[in-house]
Amino acid sequence: MTVKKYMSPVIFLLMLALLTACSDNTEGGGEAQDDNSTAATKEIIYATAKDINDMNPHLYAGSMPAQGKVFESLVENTEEGIKPLLAESWDISEDGKVYTFTLREDVEFQDGEPFNAEAVKKNLDAVQNNADTHSWIKLSTKLESTNVLDDHTVELVLTEPYYPALVELSMTRPYVFLSPNDFMDGETKSGVEGYHGTGPYKLAEHKTDEYAVFEANENYWGGAPAIKKITSKVLPAGETTFLALQKGEVNFAFTDDRGADSLESESMNQLVEEGEYQLVRSEPMNTKMIVANSSRTENAVSETEVREAIWHSIDRETISRDIFDGTETPAETLFSSNIQYADVELKKREYSLEKAKEILDQAGWKEQQSGAVRTKNGNELAMQLFYDNASSSQKTQAEFIQYSLQEIGIQLEIIGEESTSIANRRATGEYDLLFNQTWGLAYDPQSTIAAFTSDASYLHTTSGIEQADELYKKIDEVMVTTDENKREDLYADILTTVHNEAVFIPITNGSVTVVAPDNLNGISFKQTQFELPFEQMNFKD
Amino acid sequence: MKMLLNLRQDKIGFLSSIVIFVTIMLGVFAPFFAPHDPNQVNMSLRYAPSSMEYLLGNDHLGRCILSRLIIGIRPSVLWVLAALGVSVLIGAALGFLAGYFRGKIDTVIMRMCDTMLSFPGYVMALAIIGVLGVGLQNILIAFILIKWAWFARIIRTSVLQYAELDYVKFAKAPGIKDLQIIYKHLFPLTFSDIAVIASSSMGSMILQISGFSFLGLGIQAPNAEWGMMLNEAREVMFTRPELMLAPGLAIVIVVSAFNFLSDSLQVALNPALSTGQKRSKQESLSTEKKEVLMK
Repeated sequence: MTVKKYMSPVIFLLMLALLTACSDNTEGGGEAQDDNSTAATKEIIYATAKDINDMNPHLYAGSMPAQGKVFESLVENTEEGIKPLLAESWDISEDGKVYTFTLREDVEFQDGEPFNAEAVKKNLDAVQNNADTHSWIKLSTKLESTNVLDDHTVELVLTEPYYPALVELSMTRPYVFLSPNDFMDGETKSGVEGYHGTGPYKLAEHKTDEYAVFEANENYWGGAPAIKKITSKVLPAGETTFLALQKGEVNFAFTDDRGADSLESESMNQLVEEGEYQLVRSEPMNTKMIVANSSRTENAVSETEVREAIWHSIDRETISRDIFDGTETPAETLFSSNIQYADVELKKREYSLEKAKEILDQAGWKEQQSGAVRTKNGNELAMQLFYDNASSSQKTQAEFIQYSLQEIGIQLEIIGEESTSIANRRATGEYDLLFNQTWGLAYDPQSTIAAFTSDASYLHTTSGIEQADELYKKIDEVMVTTDENKREDLYADILTTVHNEAVFIPITNGSVTVVAPDNLNGISFKQTQFELPFEQMNFKD
Repeated sequence: MKMLLNLRQDKIGFLSSIVIFVTIMLGVFAPFFAPHDPNQVNMSLRYAPSSMEYLLGNDHLGRCILSRLIIGIRPSVLWVLAALGVSVLIGAALGFLAGYFRGKIDTVIMRMCDTMLSFPGYVMALAIIGVLGVGLQNILIAFILIKWAWFARIIRTSVLQYAELDYVKFAKAPGIKDLQIIYKHLFPLTFSDIAVIASSSMGSMILQISGFSFLGLGIQAPNAEWGMMLNEAREVMFTRPELMLAPGLAIVIVVSAFNFLSDSLQVALNPALSTGQKRSKQESLSTEKKEVLMK
């Protein structure tokens, strides 16, 4: 007992010491926070569910919003069409095969290397040497050679005329420019030694799966950006991000490049109500959809009727109203009709469980007893739907759709995975159904449609449909035709085919959402959902 | 019978057993007790507060939380109980073999136990799930594979101390079969130990199952499970914290009930404990028990 008597004050002292140690820490943290709040007038810290990864702009592992800050392309896709960026002007030959670009003369890479025709050639050649990886971007199959005409003039020769060439050159990747000093053995396909682009920000520090710091490029040819420091902080989506925003640990969040919001709409509204944040939403940019694997012959999803039934059994109105709080509108077709070439008359498949049941009955999928899973020739009507773990809205939608499908006798297993794993499934065809989205204004319809034929994208989705060969032929044709009317007709045919086959089951028209500090000005959007123009933002004093 | 009478005098123990009994009944006859179809989605009731029709309100898909809670008893409690039963059975069988026959059998079984016990339980369960895939079934299999070892070990210890008693030796002398001795003379003695260990590990097993479901490794949507309900509520933890209450309290209450019952059982089976007189044998046994429980 005596020991105990002595022990208790000792323990008490120890506890006290621990406590003070703790409070020291919190004080330290407090100071850091003060630093943050003073710095908050000129700094953005954004939350992201995944690391910036390998920033190599000629490959696809990196985070696009991060690459978009550091690297630039020859031309820029804007609301008014293609505008100059690193190229001041360009010229297209009569036959549409030769593009001659005059480059800006005042541009330097972030490591001091001048940006000139030679650098352009090196970069384009490096991309072309790895053309297989870039098959989704048709320019990579048509770019024959890049020739240096003089120090600031460069010529791209195509094998045949290709109308979306400029659009594809404007994309976030792969036709962007990395300092030749960073190349490994003159190539970029097996890694690079640094990430020096020409963009408004440069990568200053990167700690894998923790954070990445981008600093303003003071020598940026377009003028140094107002916001000097941007940090990309890896945080799990959902309540962690929400708390971090509330505490001021991060002060910015946006829809990531796979279309997942890190916050659900209710939390965003709460942040805005508390007064520290503003919510900015872009125009509808893309179509969120479920992609069906038509080539998976061992599963019922390869039957058009089954896909149609699924289409009919999704209540888009409710999803839009209750899950998205009305922020996203229901989508009835793969591309909304305001997209170029997409204003095509297509049969609307309204929400109707009765209709869905009827279709399944006709297709031979019979319900043995009410409420049971339908069967045909002893096979159960069961399939899997994959959703992105980081997106709470996708999970809710998946559960909602699971219930609707159960009503019509389809057994749906829903599985949440990381976004890279979902992308991998899409590429390998290891799925029945998965959540996806069209690629956004700059890419729709031409790139998304070109991706129907690409292994890495929607080949498995489209290759199971009956007229697949004909479809692919038309896609090839539409990309090279120079006749505007013919192009329109071909696009109409293509869109009608995939609509009739119901391989892309649209849900809502999605937009990019930004949660930003209340005093941040100049928040705007690009023509792609994959990056944000941070260089145009500034803080009010 | 005496045991039950003892238990009745212990208020907490009595209350716990009622809670457990009611829970089990609710679970077994869940479809009769659940006021609604637990998987019935009704988006217009998304996050609706409690009402006369939906006593505990509705979740993110407008499903009845009360019904999900009741149907969730099956995976959260009943299946755990079943898994526990199986691993206790395996453990008891091996424990009796090892403790009664000693010698080589004992060595082999104990080394197997050592091997199993040298893996941290959670990691082992994760590894098994990694191999077999996610799902409640696989977690239960993992549990059975992991838990039998320490049941076997404790039951062996318990058997050991009785196996050397004189009357067991006397029973052997006229040539009574081993199985019969185990069944007639050893099992009744060790039963109390088995009951106490089993009931006390029930609590931690419920927590573990809920934990795995919380991580999304357990039961799959749309089926209800308490851990999964917690996980679903977690997504709106700061905007609608009240959703955490129902599944959270359910877990707390049932786990506490099992733990209290386990304590009371120990007292009821061994009234000496309640008066504070301890025989050295029991003390050593209970310390060993505690040690293992700490794991």
